Amino acid sequence: MPLPEIDSMTSAQAAGAYNSNKKPPKFFQVVFWPLAVACILLVGYGLLICWSATDTDPKYSFMRQLLGVALGLVVMALMWAYDYRKLSDMYIVMLVVSVVLILSPHLPVIGVTRSGATSWINVGMQIQPGEFAKITIILFCAGVLSKYGGRLDDLGEYVKVIGLMLIPFVCIMTQPDLGTGLVYLFISATTLFMAGAKVRYMVLTLLVLVVGIVFIFVIDEFLKYTTEDGTTEYHLLKQYQRARLFVFMNQDNASSDAESYNLRQAMIAIGSGGLFGKGIGSSTQSSLGFLPEAPTDFIFCVLAEELGFVGVVFLLALYGCLIGFSIFIARRCSNLFGMLIVCGIVGMWLFQILENIGMCIGLMPITGIPLPFVSYGSSFMIVNFAALGLIGSVYSHASKVGKGI
Amino acid sequence: MVTAIIATILTIAIIAAVALLVYMLVRRRSQGEFIKKSDVEHINTLNIGNDKSLRRRGPQGAHSHIRVNASEANMAKPSDKMSSRFGVFGIAISAVFGVLVAKAWSMQLLESERYASASENNLYTSMSIPASRGRIFDRNGVPLVKNRFIQTVLADSEVADDKRTVKRLSTVLGVPESVIAQRIKDESAGAQSKRTVASDVRLRDVAYISEHSDAFPGVSIEEIAEREYPYGALAAHALGYTRAATEEDVEEANDGRSIELTDVIGKSGLEYYYDDVLAGDKGTRRMMVDASGNIVCIVDEISSTQGSDIITTIDAHAQFVTDELLAQTVAPFGDIGTGKGVSACVVALDVTDGSVVVMSSYPTFDPSSLDDSNIWELYMKDESHAPFVNRAINGQYAPASTFKAFTSMAGLNYGYATYGSTWTCTGEWDGFGSGDVQRCWDNYGHGTLDLHDGIVNSCDVVFYEIAKAFFDHGPDGSGELSQTALQEYLSKFRFGETTGIDLAGEYSGLIPTPEWKAKQWRNVPSEAIWRGGDYSNMIIGQGDVLVTPLQLACAYGAIATGDIMRPHLLKEIHNSVGDVVFEAQPEVVASLDVDEDHLAYVRRALHDMIPAHEDLASHFVEYNLDAAAKSGTAEHTDKKDDAWFAAYAPFDDPKYVAVCIVEQGGGGSDIAGPIVAKVLGTLLGEQVEPGAGLGYINGSSGNSIAIEFTGNTRRQD
Repeated sequence: MPLPEIDSMTSAQAAGAYNSNKKPPKFFQVVFWPLAVACILLVGYGLLICWSATDTDPKYSFMRQLLGVALGLVVMALMWAYDYRKLSDMYIVMLVVSVVLILSPHLPVIGVTRSGATSWINVGMQIQPGEFAKITIILFCAGVLSKYGGRLDDLGEYVKVIGLMLIPFVCIMTQPDLGTGLVYLFISATTLFMAGAKVRYMVLTLLVLVVGIVFIFVIDEFLKYTTEDGTTEYHLLKQYQRARLFVFMNQDNASSDAESYNLRQAMIAIGSGGLFGKGIGSSTQSSLGFLPEAPTDFIFCVLAEELGFVGVVFLLALYGCLIGFSIFIARRCSNLFGMLIVCGIVGMWLFQILENIGMCIGLMPITGIPLPFVSYGSSFMIVNFAALGLIGSVYSHASKVGKGI
Repeated sequence: MVTAIIATILTIAIIAAVALLVYMLVRRRSQGEFIKKSDVEHINTLNIGNDKSLRRRGPQGAHSHIRVNASEANMAKPSDKMSSRFGVFGIAISAVFGVLVAKAWSMQLLESERYASASENNLYTSMSIPASRGRIFDRNGVPLVKNRFIQTVLADSEVADDKRTVKRLSTVLGVPESVIAQRIKDESAGAQSKRTVASDVRLRDVAYISEHSDAFPGVSIEEIAEREYPYGALAAHALGYTRAATEEDVEEANDGRSIELTDVIGKSGLEYYYDDVLAGDKGTRRMMVDASGNIVCIVDEISSTQGSDIITTIDAHAQFVTDELLAQTVAPFGDIGTGKGVSACVVALDVTDGSVVVMSSYPTFDPSSLDDSNIWELYMKDESHAPFVNRAINGQYAPASTFKAFTSMAGLNYGYATYGSTWTCTGEWDGFGSGDVQRCWDNYGHGTLDLHDGIVNSCDVVFYEIAKAFFDHGPDGSGELSQTALQEYLSKFRFGETTGIDLAGEYSGLIPTPEWKAKQWRNVPSEAIWRGGDYSNMIIGQGDVLVTPLQLACAYGAIATGDIMRPHLLKEIHNSVGDVVFEAQPEVVASLDVDEDHLAYVRRALHDMIPAHEDLASHFVEYNLDAAAKSGTAEHTDKKDDAWFAAYAPFDDPKYVAVCIVEQGGGGSDIAGPIVAKVLGTLLGEQVEPGAGLGYINGSSGNSIAIEFTGNTRRQD
């Protein structure tokens, strides 16, 4: 298998970046060890579950996941070494990069459409640029909001910022990929809140959003049309999206369609795990195919089935440490831009954890959002490592050691 | 469901409320603290937050300030201003984790059992293991129906549309694609059931298909116990045949017997009547399956119990001789019409216990050929003369002169004939003076003769006179007798009712009564009247009288022994380990309530009948038989006569009774007599080694050549 382009590209950059560092900082001081330990445990734990979930299914390759981790480590090292403060002025660039990334699957040759979503590009390997855009969107949001110095109480400015923040969301909806779009929105909302936007404005925005959603449903009723095979199709919210929403709303109703089947099997997998689970590699729900998409969207079910409630609590504890230590770094960061970067990353992780686990246990509607550091898929794995690298950069460049660079 | 939604909404509401409350509290406190902060810091933050000129310059301007800020006031972190928001953020994070843990706790600890059983339901499935059917043997232990285990390739009906799979099957099995597609489309085994693509498949091909099951969607392989008939159509009507159960069979299954669509069940004959005995008990196999229903492993298995074996009363040797003889008689060159008659039937009973030793009916079928749908089509045509009909119990014929043995006793009983009575036969008779002359079969007349000779020569005129006596003493004459006096006497021999043999669907025949006639002809009042002619027809076994060969055999058995026995085909049942669990006992349905002297008189006449006919006698001499017999030739206006013959032997110590009819065969003594002689001769002759000399009996061809009919030839009884 030829080495993916992305691989060679990043390695070259990595080499260049290290060479340019004339005085490398002492390793032990640039690393925030509690976070590092939590991350090592989390990645190891995730790989274990991913191995268990992919072991029985020839469609997935565990080696690919390991490659993703390896690439992620390289990207993380690069980000760590790079002084994030150099990016604070470049929010327009970040926005442009985000938009280019999100729209790239629409390009004629490399764009790939799979199950109705134009979300992938093929550059030797299939990657999901929308995932990478999460990083640039975090940088963009942090960059824009840091200009207001912690007070965003002018309505005009607020509306302008909101308008800019909606651009990536609108772009991702052209694929369409509502799940990733919601992640973008949540990143924006988190950074907005942490940047000191007036609470009244944010509540107002929320109200507008709710009214907007209702409006979409109402408008859809007027726009709906009947397709060739006699089913009704809507323009704005597609049938499958509605189905997911409605399944979530009556999850206990015995229904035979695919969406409720997925949810029912997911809940059976989790519930049947009990306190200690069925043991690693002994899941029946995923290994025998009852649970669809087990290694990707529903990997939490594999964990819960094999390791039980104890395994779930351990995972959530690791996530708690990851987020807690990140917030600690955000809290002690000496500038708003760095703080907002970390808050944006925390927002991203928090939403992904809530949505992914929430959908598995029937608290949230079903969307294809992966679980950080655990789900199969190298794009998102690299994104997570890049995020870690950014946090590391914020930590090291704010510390006494970092100041010297 | 509603509670789940309410709970979710409540949780979110509570979290939001707590978050808001905390935010309010924290903000109030931090505002208080704010004023106490050092001046420098106060000014700095004010600069950033409130300097309108800076803000008007936009974000770029503000940015430069941050830089200065960051480097000058190192210890003043931007998050200090945001501590309340960090608090809210922290609470939101805790809430998210709290909700997730709480829900996982409720699912994995509180409701774990419910989900675990749902998971098991997904995982385990049980399948019943079919039990192999019991075998069927003749009275000496010769196997007549056995089992053979074959590998069968089955396919769902949808596979017919899957061109690739059909092509692959064709390549592996070496059968043309069109044939495979046709077999899959064949609905003869039921629209829902799996279709047999190929049976008796080589193990190598079975292994190939099993190993590449992904390439053969909808195709499965099963080991099927197939019925094997070592002697083909031998006793086919008595044994019956099996088929895959239909949906109706599943619905109508008896209590305690569960039939599934894949089961093979008895459809006729003993296979049907003793289906419960032969079926055995199914086993169950519990298996782990994956989401596509593929078996992952077998968890446990309760093996099935083979059905019990049935030992029949049939004598395979005599049955074989008879089956072959009938085929030779009716269709010596394969098709019906190349010999005598269009169909034939022989029933032979052991008069001492009622066991059926021979039950043969032609045309017949080979039960092993029935998987071929062409056979069904062929046998459903009129010209095949209904090979599936068991004529011994479902063939109803006018008994003709064989009936005279019983009607003569009725005459003796009422005194209309005595040992000394004589009648004169001129060949024709019009005793009722109706102008409608009835003829004796011997148109030249028998001269003067008594009842004994009347039976021996089968003189119709003698019996017309007796019939006239019944009529004259009936309501239309002197009124001593009812209109049904003759019928009531005949019912002592149990005509007009089923014999109770252990086969399903037996017919009861018919003894006409005035009541029956009125009902039958209710739309033609002129015909509905009970006339003298009805007596004279009935008394010679013609007109509306109908009997089955089995009824006649039982009645002749009663003449031989004085007892009506219940005929039966079951001798013993042996369970799967070989123990005898049931043994049939002779059952006397009724003892004949007739005068012993009259019975002896008729027996004597029947005994004298054979030597009186030279050609016939030679056949009985050939087998060294001392028999009592009566022939019969049933006349039809539009087709050839039916040949009847009934006999029992030995005369002094009766053992077997045999009855034969050759439909449209001609004269009874000529055609049916020699057959009965050979059957009785075989039964009473030298005993052969069980199973020796048996051969394969073929099913009939299904074709026939029309028999020439050139008007009523002179009848010869």
